[in-house]
Amino acid sequence: MGFDYNSLLAFIIFGVTIGVVYGIVALGISLIYSGLDIVHFAHGEMYMFGAFFGLVLAHNVGVPYPIALIGAMVLTALLGMAVERVFYRRLTRAGGGYTVAGMGMIICGFGMSVALVNVAYFIWGAEAEPFRANLDYIPRLSFPGDIEVPESYVLTAIISVALMAALHYFLRHTKTGLAVRAVAHNKDIAYLMGINVPLMISLIFGLACGLGAAAGVLIGPMQSVQVEMGYLMLMKAFAAAVVGGFGSLPGAIIGGIMVGVFENLGAAYISASHKDIYAFLLLILVLMFKPSGLLGVDAKVKA
Amino acid sequence: MRILNKMFAGVVAAGIGITATAAFADDIRVGITMRMVSENGQAYGQMMMDEIKGINESGGINGNMIKATLMNDECKSDKGVANANKMVFQEKVHLLIGSSCSSVTLPIVDVTAKAGVPQLVPHSTNSKITQKGSEWIFRVPVSGRYYGGVNAKYVGENIGTKIAYICAADAASVGDCANMEKQMKARFGVEPAYRADVQEKEVDFRSHMQKIKSMDVDGILVAALAETMARALVQSYEAGIGEDVRRIGSSSASNAPVPKIAGDAAKGVFFTAAYAAADQRPIAKLFNEMVKTRYGIHAPDHDFSQAYDLVRIMEIALKNTNFTGSLADDRTAIRDAIANVQGYEGLASGPISFCAAATPQCRDGNRTAVLIGYTKGGENFETEVLARVTMEPDFGLE
Amino acid sequence: MGILSFMADFIDSLAKRHRLLPWLLAYALLLPLPFVLTILFNEYLIDLANRICLFILLAVGLNIVKGFCGQVTVGHIGLYAIGAVTSAVLSLEPGGFGGALGFGWPIWAAIPTAVLVTAFAGLIIGLPSVRLEGAYLALATLGLGESVRIFIAVTPALGSSTGLMMIPAPRIGSFVFDSFTSYYYLVMTAAITGIYFSFSILRSATGRAFQAIREDTIAASVNGINVVKYKLLAFVLSAIYAGLAGALFAHMPPGYLHHNNFTVIEMVTLLLMVVLGGIGNVWGGVIGAIVVAIAYDQTKDLVFYFMDRPIVFQPLVFGLSMVLLVLFMPRGIGGWIEDFQRNRRFVRRSEERLSGTARNP
Repeated sequence: MGFDYNSLLAFIIFGVTIGVVYGIVALGISLIYSGLDIVHFAHGEMYMFGAFFGLVLAHNVGVPYPIALIGAMVLTALLGMAVERVFYRRLTRAGGGYTVAGMGMIICGFGMSVALVNVAYFIWGAEAEPFRANLDYIPRLSFPGDIEVPESYVLTAIISVALMAALHYFLRHTKTGLAVRAVAHNKDIAYLMGINVPLMISLIFGLACGLGAAAGVLIGPMQSVQVEMGYLMLMKAFAAAVVGGFGSLPGAIIGGIMVGVFENLGAAYISASHKDIYAFLLLILVLMFKPSGLLGVDAKVKA
Repeated sequence: MRILNKMFAGVVAAGIGITATAAFADDIRVGITMRMVSENGQAYGQMMMDEIKGINESGGINGNMIKATLMNDECKSDKGVANANKMVFQEKVHLLIGSSCSSVTLPIVDVTAKAGVPQLVPHSTNSKITQKGSEWIFRVPVSGRYYGGVNAKYVGENIGTKIAYICAADAASVGDCANMEKQMKARFGVEPAYRADVQEKEVDFRSHMQKIKSMDVDGILVAALAETMARALVQSYEAGIGEDVRRIGSSSASNAPVPKIAGDAAKGVFFTAAYAAADQRPIAKLFNEMVKTRYGIHAPDHDFSQAYDLVRIMEIALKNTNFTGSLADDRTAIRDAIANVQGYEGLASGPISFCAAATPQCRDGNRTAVLIGYTKGGENFETEVLARVTMEPDFGLE
Repeated sequence: MGILSFMADFIDSLAKRHRLLPWLLAYALLLPLPFVLTILFNEYLIDLANRICLFILLAVGLNIVKGFCGQVTVGHIGLYAIGAVTSAVLSLEPGGFGGALGFGWPIWAAIPTAVLVTAFAGLIIGLPSVRLEGAYLALATLGLGESVRIFIAVTPALGSSTGLMMIPAPRIGSFVFDSFTSYYYLVMTAAITGIYFSFSILRSATGRAFQAIREDTIAASVNGINVVKYKLLAFVLSAIYAGLAGALFAHMPPGYLHHNNFTVIEMVTLLLMVVLGGIGNVWGGVIGAIVVAIAYDQTKDLVFYFMDRPIVFQPLVFGLSMVLLVLFMPRGIGGWIEDFQRNRRFVRRSEERLSGTARNP
């Protein structure tokens, strides 16, 4: 079949469009990591809950898609804050959150993930639900070489960039953002400076979970919504966060795009049935040879 | 902390309590292990229990009550084997029913063969299940080897032979894909125009669709579990592949999530199954109505009909069994009674018959597949029957 | 407490005669278990006991790397899968019924080879630990473990989605280990031996090196401990346990393996066993494995009705138990055992002092 540059371009575009979604989830994971020094293993479930909240708002309540997106982000942020306050606070209070021989938070996250999936299953059942959104006002993108990018992917790209920009503005140009950064840098000193550290921790968690929810609502119309959707997304987002440099926010998005492109090219040119392994492969390679990731400036290899 | 300790202690105590209960002597004990995590799974599990309750309420089997135990195997082989062992050795069942997934049924066949317990298979289609040569296994659904033949014949004669294959990695779809490919080759001498092996729960098919789009194929076979298939169908339209390219489903296209999730993309998809909700026979209409009112299911798929047929076949066989009171003898008698079921006409696409030899020819009860097409997608989907084909007993065997 | 103390004293007095004596006694006591279970309950419980023995092997193995050495690994289930699949593929007949790869090796050669292969895989899974710690290591091992499963799931030669079937049962001459009871002696022996060696490791210089690394890696290296070597050794040792458990699982009748027996849910169950037992405590891990396996078996089919739908709630209970255990009982059952042992030592020392028999008053 010879080498076809058009299809190569198509695979890269597809990789980028799915990669930004990985990036948004990775952004949340990175935010929690840089703020609280913990890796949140139940973040995939926040993404899943976000998707379901969006689904309920859009279908059952009947609000327009953009409002469902914001509503889901707020609801999931509240859920995330509640989970953090009720369960994780005992661990996060200790700083790094490693009490049981250095693995408390990881086990806690795993347990929470299993429990949350079960809770979602109580409410929504195990069946996948279609997420229909009216996106006619979004233009369909056409690329040369007969490549069409559907509306939902265009929207995803736009919203991801907007979220990135908003987060960047919040962290760099607002007073609360400064406080968040101070807490991320050093909790004790932030405390002495008169910052309400527990509130900021809640805020960080809420923001991160809201970002996860945004990804869930964005991916809903493309892939339908199901209670078990979180785990695979978590893995991809971990890979994205690690590739971009754990704790680096622009790195998360770049890492997401890299993972998306890498797995799409792998699926297209090596073997489609090994697709999920490529993300892990990238994760492991980066961890082995450059643990700080591509943009991780202050590598905290020792958690 | 103390509550937690008590909880665990309680669980252990309860466990020993449960295991100590012995079943009553006069009951006919039936164990069911199925995938109960999906909504449909729960509904047809419940339906089997309700039907068995119905048998008991109308006098039971010659005066004996059926005591059924329903267990969840989550479609995992280790859980399924544990369930089977529990039912055979703890509940001491006379008859085992299971399971939904081929990968669970395959090991259970060995458990029942060794313990000498008759086993009725409700849903698994993998052709190896009956090829293991167990005397105790009976399959109610259509074996995958027949499906492939029916699909290939229809596709080659009505659509064309340039077919792209998208095959997901679950046991049923791998089998469906391989059978179809084999039959297309045997009948028309063609190789797949394109073949992609994707993951069981793949979510992104766009790169495959992009490749297929540039190939000008006659049809696309999407062999995958319901949700994965629905995603692939939607994305095939998103990629811009027109309606003139026919979409062919594997047997799981029968499951309700496909039209529900795929919506308009489900229209025009056709597939082979063992039951069509569009069946015009009175018994099928009654059944559709019953499932709708009792379980709120819009249109039952062949998983429902097979579960229902299985209970009826079980009832017939049990009524023809002479119970002696010795468990081993009763199990053998039930096996022989099931093997004597001939020409059962129920909801299934064709008559179901078994015979005594431990061969696939004897133990794959249903040899008729029905070709079904979706005429409308969405929550209130509609189907039509395209054809009904009965295969020879030897078809598809090596 | 009285009975417990008496038992502990009795075990101590046995151990003073010969350090293997308590183990032989335990082994002897466990020998008639299948018959007791059959008479009192039913044969199914032997099958459950067999699975518990495999879980004990896994939990004890995980404890070596996690508890003794303090390395956060979440890829243990991948090692279990490697052990199981290797042993199965080696012992299957070439061109067999299942259509998978087969080499037709005798089982008693296949199992040790599988253990060796798994040990090597453990070395590879352990490699990231040289540079990474904590969360990073967890991510790397999770990725590796999951990759193993996906690789099995998509490779037809390793069974892929149809699974590896008709894996032969072990045999000695004409005696085949294909019943619950005969297999029980195989796995029970393996489990007891595993626990024994776990204690041997803990008490050896190697075990002390592991603990030093767990407490403070830098201090350990300053004291002349080759940190890289011991970290990798911990991974290899735990992989040997996982490989043995996997191989025994593969050959356990009905001899069937499927990749979805090795998912992250199984890993979480395994973590729960170790957490409940108390990370780092061998007996705690054993008790955790027994309790969780029995609880799992008995609660699996419990449902309650929510909006007319039967709801399985066991994952919620297990998941929340994990969270609450970490929060409120971080030392697990092992914590009680350690407290009991410490109290007993203290009480005995005081008694000796009071009665004037203490050697160094």
